[in-house]
Amino acid sequence: MLAAVTRMIDRFRGSGEAAVTVPPMDGSLRPNFRIENVPLLLPAEAPDNLVADAGKILFSSRHRIMEFDRQGGSAAERQSLASEVTFLAAHATGALAVGLAEGEILIRGGPHDGVTMADIGGRKILCATAATFADADTLLVCLGSQQFPAVDWKRDLMSKNASGSVWRIDLKTKAATCLADRLAYPYGIVVDARGQVIVSESWRHRILLVGEKTPQTLFGDLPAYPARLVADPQSDEIWLSAFAPRLQLVEFVLREDEYRTRMMRELDPEWWIAPSLHHPASFLEPLQGGGLKQLGELKPWAPSRSYGLVVRLDAECQPIESFHSRANGTRHGVTSCLPDGDSVIIASKGGNALIAVER
Amino acid sequence: MEPLISMQSVTKEYRGVAAIRNVDFTLQRGEIHALLGENGAGKSTLTKIMAGVTQISSGKMLLDGKGVSFATPAQALANGVAMVFQETSLVPSMSVAQNLFLGEEKLFNRLRGIYIAAQQFMESLNFHVDPWASVATLGAAKKQMVEIARAVQQKARVIIFDEPTASLTPEEKRHFFSLLANLKQRGVSIVFISHALEEALFIADRITILRDGELVVTDDTSAFDRDKIIRAMVGRSLSGELYKKEGEHPTRKPGKKVLSVQNLSMSRVVKNNSFTVYGGQVTGIFGLIGSGRTETAKILAGIVKRDFFHGGEVLLNGKSVRYRVPRQAVKDGIVYVTEDRKIEGFFETMSIAENIYQAAKAADVVPGTIVRMSEMKELADHWTKALNIKAIDSNARVIELSGGNQQKVVIAKSLVQKPEVIIFDEPTRGVDVGAISEIHQLINKLADESFAIVVISSYLPEILSISDRILVSQAGRIVEEFSPQEATEERIMYAAVH
Repeated sequence: MLAAVTRMIDRFRGSGEAAVTVPPMDGSLRPNFRIENVPLLLPAEAPDNLVADAGKILFSSRHRIMEFDRQGGSAAERQSLASEVTFLAAHATGALAVGLAEGEILIRGGPHDGVTMADIGGRKILCATAATFADADTLLVCLGSQQFPAVDWKRDLMSKNASGSVWRIDLKTKAATCLADRLAYPYGIVVDARGQVIVSESWRHRILLVGEKTPQTLFGDLPAYPARLVADPQSDEIWLSAFAPRLQLVEFVLREDEYRTRMMRELDPEWWIAPSLHHPASFLEPLQGGGLKQLGELKPWAPSRSYGLVVRLDAECQPIESFHSRANGTRHGVTSCLPDGDSVIIASKGGNALIAVER
Repeated sequence: MEPLISMQSVTKEYRGVAAIRNVDFTLQRGEIHALLGENGAGKSTLTKIMAGVTQISSGKMLLDGKGVSFATPAQALANGVAMVFQETSLVPSMSVAQNLFLGEEKLFNRLRGIYIAAQQFMESLNFHVDPWASVATLGAAKKQMVEIARAVQQKARVIIFDEPTASLTPEEKRHFFSLLANLKQRGVSIVFISHALEEALFIADRITILRDGELVVTDDTSAFDRDKIIRAMVGRSLSGELYKKEGEHPTRKPGKKVLSVQNLSMSRVVKNNSFTVYGGQVTGIFGLIGSGRTETAKILAGIVKRDFFHGGEVLLNGKSVRYRVPRQAVKDGIVYVTEDRKIEGFFETMSIAENIYQAAKAADVVPGTIVRMSEMKELADHWTKALNIKAIDSNARVIELSGGNQQKVVIAKSLVQKPEVIIFDEPTRGVDVGAISEIHQLINKLADESFAIVVISSYLPEILSISDRILVSQAGRIVEEFSPQEATEERIMYAAVH
């Protein structure tokens, strides 16, 4: 009763849960130009899902799986698939798990070569966003949504949907165990050095520890929408990608149901007031293109709806360091990264670029 | 031409400590003279001497070539020197006309006559203020106008403005500058203290810069640019003796996110302010007076309230909190060590022990309502020893202690409340050199013990020496962040004034 009254007062005052506020990017998340100020490694169409597969670097580009030759600075197509690749996960046995936008998970290579799944635990695969191998026989999978496919992620966010789940699949028996349910778009998954399963929940801007018990927040209230997680092979650290910043305007629109539903009904998703993967390219984009020159520096007059962010997290999932492509940059929509030797390869899906940043 | 005011080798000491030292200053007739310097540089002391608020310890002041020493502001005013303070000295419940002629009332006054005279006078100055209006209903700029009109009406030849534009809107500022130009045309000399360098460069004929109580430079405005002013304001040679230079101390890595301030707003003082405080680190906040640092800290500590509607959000360990009174904040682990210890920090006539004990009681660290003397003594002895509070015993009254030891009592009162976040507001203001070092050591020790520490300071060497990350506040919000390695006094000051 008291909680209901508090919520009512909060809605009236715009405070508490109804506050239209966003956390600042400061401390370890302080903006810099480290993603923007490095040379281009490889131009690629919507690169995503960077994985290391038996010493080779793979990434997806729409419906193709590409093999990247870092020495030669080129990429060759390894496989072309029927629909867009939504995730890749590799294992040392040579197994490669591939998520497809049309609702399938394929296993290629390794002891379970040829396995295909169209549902998990009785649920149809609609939006498989991320996966990782816990061991050669166990695949951990994030299903981002049960209502919208992965390509329609913006609609899932603006519908305030929370139908995502995390599954452990025994590839021998195909038995699936639900580790967490009703998540708001789980978008990244990793097994840390202690064997714990860590998931990024994008629409709730947090990193979760999932397992037998209720999910536990390890790092909450991120100032950006988190995407994929990857473990650092050289240490117990974890790398997180984030593709768009949180904005007060978007938070406000998310609260205004009538406006939001009308916007979703009448406008193309490209022009919604919602996070975006790519930097402003059209004057039609809401509040993106304008800028002003202040003290000799061109600054955007409205915060950008897209961003590029990679965060190095310690073993406790607390941020240590971050790399940014800011409002005036172009390497936005960073959905995936991969530590490789002394550098981190970053896939800017919105910026159509692969780049490497020294760590 | 003989200057209107000439100050020669002027020194002012407070209890043996020089606030200004051997300062030479001249004010020409009909000039606007900007007085610049950091907080504590001695600007206010110099102008207060001119206005008779305080007196010279050594040196002399000449007005029209004759030696003068004003014992009171009234004497200064009688000689044509008026000061307009940052906080206006008008009586809010009285009308503009009544304020204008306050202190000059005859035995029998015809109210109508006063209002007519006030209106005529205000119009002659081109000040469009209703003489019938109550001062309480006026905006900051109109109050300034009334204050100026009062100074001119009292035949002031010199008007000193202390931070006149701090509370004005841009439009009001433009109006104010036209007023200054108007006064200058009338032959009035103006001394103008401001932290806004652009204003000084825009309006002043000459600029004088003070630093650590000494005159650095006086020259025509055309000889200055922004960078030159900043260099003159912050360049110190003695700071290294007391404060480590930037980058000399190892920077602590951030711990967990303890406090997240998001889009905090309060009136026109704190505007959409956002920052994060991490455990195990000292977060230094630098800003000029009026930049909203203290107000932000007081909101966090429940001393003042943020805006009722859309006042932003404060998350303590991920949980949204909003305090109506400090006690709630203290119970949650947020304590605020005030910048004004005499007013807000302690009960000066109570003993050290009583002060510390009542703080512990207030936070329910010592449960129950019964006062146990043995418990009080034990607590006081512990903290007196831990913080090296120098007093005859813990029963000494706080008023009898030195500034540094008083500050340690205030800190002890906070630490006894078992906080998680400690906000130090100007922790070494008015504290002797030895105690400064001890307080800094204590702050560092607390950060090493994983407390989340916020240090608000107007003194750049202090911020540079003690902070693991430096936030710069300007116009009610955090505008810049530096690591100690990349921060310099010039860069911080540049961020604070732009």
